[in-house]
Amino acid sequence: MRLIRYIGYRLLLAVPVILGIVVLNFFLIHLAPGDAASVLAGETGAATPEYMAQLRHKFGLDQPLSAQFLHYLLNMAHLDLGYSFRNDSPVAALIFDRLWPTALLMVTAFVIALALGILLGLIAATGRNTWRDGVISLVSLVAYATPGFWLGLMMIVVFAIRLEWLPTSGFDTVGAYNEGWAEVADVARHLVMPAVALALFYLALYARLMRATVLEQAGMDYVTTARAKGQTERKVMTGHVMKNALLPIVTMAGIQAGNLIGGSIVVETVFGWPGIGTLAFDALQSRDLNLLLGIFFISACLVVVINLVVDLVYVTLDPRIEI
Amino acid sequence: MNSIKMSRRTALSLPFGLAAMHGARAADTPRRGGTMVMIVHPEPSTLAHYAVSAGNIPPIATQIYEGLVTYDWDLNPQPNLAKSWQIAPDGKTITFKLQENVTFHNGKPFTSADVQFSFMEVLKKYHPTAPVILSEVYAVETPDPLTAVLRLNNPAPYIMKALAGRDLPIVCKAVFEGTDILNNPTANKPIGTGPFKFGQWDRGQAIRLDRNPNYWKPGLPYLDRIVARFIPDAATRSAAMETGEAHFAAYSAVNYADLARMKKNPILGETSKGYEMTPAISVLELNSKHPHLDKKEVRQAIAYAIDRKFIVDNVMYGYGVPATGPLSRKFAKAGFYTTDVRKFDVPDRLDIANKLLDSAGAPRGEGGVRFGLHLEVNSFGEQWLRQAEYLKQALAQIGIDVTLRSEDTATWLRRVYTNYDYDINEPFLSQGVDPVIGLNRQYLSSQIRKGVTFVNDSFYSNPEVDNLLLSAMREPDHDKRAAMYVKVQQILTEDCPLVWLVDVEYVSIYNKKLHDHTTGPLGTQQAFERTWMEA
Repeated sequence: MRLIRYIGYRLLLAVPVILGIVVLNFFLIHLAPGDAASVLAGETGAATPEYMAQLRHKFGLDQPLSAQFLHYLLNMAHLDLGYSFRNDSPVAALIFDRLWPTALLMVTAFVIALALGILLGLIAATGRNTWRDGVISLVSLVAYATPGFWLGLMMIVVFAIRLEWLPTSGFDTVGAYNEGWAEVADVARHLVMPAVALALFYLALYARLMRATVLEQAGMDYVTTARAKGQTERKVMTGHVMKNALLPIVTMAGIQAGNLIGGSIVVETVFGWPGIGTLAFDALQSRDLNLLLGIFFISACLVVVINLVVDLVYVTLDPRIEI
Repeated sequence: MNSIKMSRRTALSLPFGLAAMHGARAADTPRRGGTMVMIVHPEPSTLAHYAVSAGNIPPIATQIYEGLVTYDWDLNPQPNLAKSWQIAPDGKTITFKLQENVTFHNGKPFTSADVQFSFMEVLKKYHPTAPVILSEVYAVETPDPLTAVLRLNNPAPYIMKALAGRDLPIVCKAVFEGTDILNNPTANKPIGTGPFKFGQWDRGQAIRLDRNPNYWKPGLPYLDRIVARFIPDAATRSAAMETGEAHFAAYSAVNYADLARMKKNPILGETSKGYEMTPAISVLELNSKHPHLDKKEVRQAIAYAIDRKFIVDNVMYGYGVPATGPLSRKFAKAGFYTTDVRKFDVPDRLDIANKLLDSAGAPRGEGGVRFGLHLEVNSFGEQWLRQAEYLKQALAQIGIDVTLRSEDTATWLRRVYTNYDYDINEPFLSQGVDPVIGLNRQYLSSQIRKGVTFVNDSFYSNPEVDNLLLSAMREPDHDKRAAMYVKVQQILTEDCPLVWLVDVEYVSIYNKKLHDHTTGPLGTQQAFERTWMEA
């Protein structure tokens, strides 16, 4: 009951936050010079002035900013994200088409990074100053310092061109139109490289963080107490040290879940992954304001939800934290 | 250029020849079936081909929308939706006899009413460039369902060069009539008469086109499907060609830098054919409102200071030819192009440039610098930044200190074409199918139009050039017309409102399993109806 009330309260708080973001975004975006009509006409090579005036009228750009803003707020009140004139398509359809490949990529990368990061951090910490620790520290340092796009390109050269194990890019094999499990397997094959390229940086980060916090916790009094009670080393580690060591990881992961949405633009570009990152980049470049605002809105909502989830995970990990 | 003078027969046999060297049993009988994957870059934002003319739309849209004619390798019109045509002696009436038994993908028959509606109600009103081509057309008459008669105020000889599906696509009247044309639901689900039907668009990934089983040309097309793939990263695009995941990449979708490596790949071939009707020149626009750039001598000096061959070799990786003036050499075949103009690529060009600047009252000051200028870097790709870096060094040789300014597309276009807040601009100008398209918008004084991109932004105004360009537009006699364009080129190279850099050459990369992919001068901007794939 208390939990539900808490969630309701947090969601209520999120409303003004998201509203503030929406308003701020709207005016921020309009500060950018140039408009969608001139970009479209620029790509066209040559356009008559009548054509450009027509475009501006169609896009609603000939209206005063206040009228555009009012129109936008009215739309948002109806949960209508508007229409992307550049793409001749409703914004919501464009975003939701692209949201799920991004979600798939994000979640996979996130799970890989968290699971392997925690595991490697733990191995390094328990074998401090052994060769295991040395190797893991070195590898995570390299992974931490390697730019994602370079790593992605190198993976394509090695695994797609030389070894021919994996496809270079895309979401699935174009023109194959697999069904059922064949499609799942096909997507999985396409997912491997982008997910690993995206995960590696975070994996390194979590491994290093895990190692440090485990070592820190291992010196605490409660660990000595647990040992004195006669618990096995394994129990001390899983039941006591790990639970406490996970808190900073969760905090970090919570912050970075938001980052992953943006951080995937580079990886999406390299691997031709049809995600929201490239969509946002294109929208910005082409001044497709309705689409851009829609993406900002959805991203803001996602971040709010993820933060809430992280707070709830805290509670289960550490009973001392109250909601 | 040899590749252009090549006869139609040799050109057609070229892909076969290469295939024969490659595959042992590569028969030259076309095979039905197969899916061709082509790379289109960047992904189009829309398929409303009748209202938007960005260069990445036609490779997909011309499979669906056809034009009245196609063009042979000598750039002469050949029958397509129009079986035959007749131009009246005064040049003011063009009568088209249309193909029978053609249906649109929605089952509606194609008639002269569709031609009338496409030209007058759609293209003339909503297309970015067609209003120029159709400016003299005041009516399209439809005496019977298979006859369409264009009525013109004045002769417009360029119309016969612009009737392909790329420039004047024929849409279905029944789909558009009585609707808001710019918001038509078929914008992204196009319906045409072409060899392929629209299948599906997975945004960010691919567009699928399916074979039109009711296509009016018997037995065609050969392919079952065409998939246009979109890969934002240049290195990954190259990789997709190298692994055989994609079969065709036109319009330099593959980085010039990767081409040397791809040439060594046994499964790939390259061709620079299929671009004969897409002339384009990279230029520098000089803002003549600038106190130094308003002097002809200064502008000429800039033209002399630049080593065009260096740009071709080092920035374009050899894909291009130094430009000699305002027209592309691709107009040589039509007789419009001349090299009898002021030449800037001469051995003592730096001495000439320095003397011109001295005489123009711009002496060298401290550090040898005469004056400074800003250069707006073209935002459409990395090569333009490299070109700009070279230009900075080249102009430093004659004492002009250039500062580069890189901005994103929207900001750049706004700065140059709306605010006129620039000294030198570095655009890339496509010139269309006839000189009237590229020259008029760039050099007519009436084309100084604030807020319109890629028009006369150098404030060039010369009554003689205005007069010549407008007369040439309406001159039905080809030789007289050509003479006028020769004169225009001579005056322009003397006045130097722009500096012409490179006459650009594109390249297509193809998988050798793919045959007959480049069958005409429009290349990838015409239908792949005869393209076929080895099993």
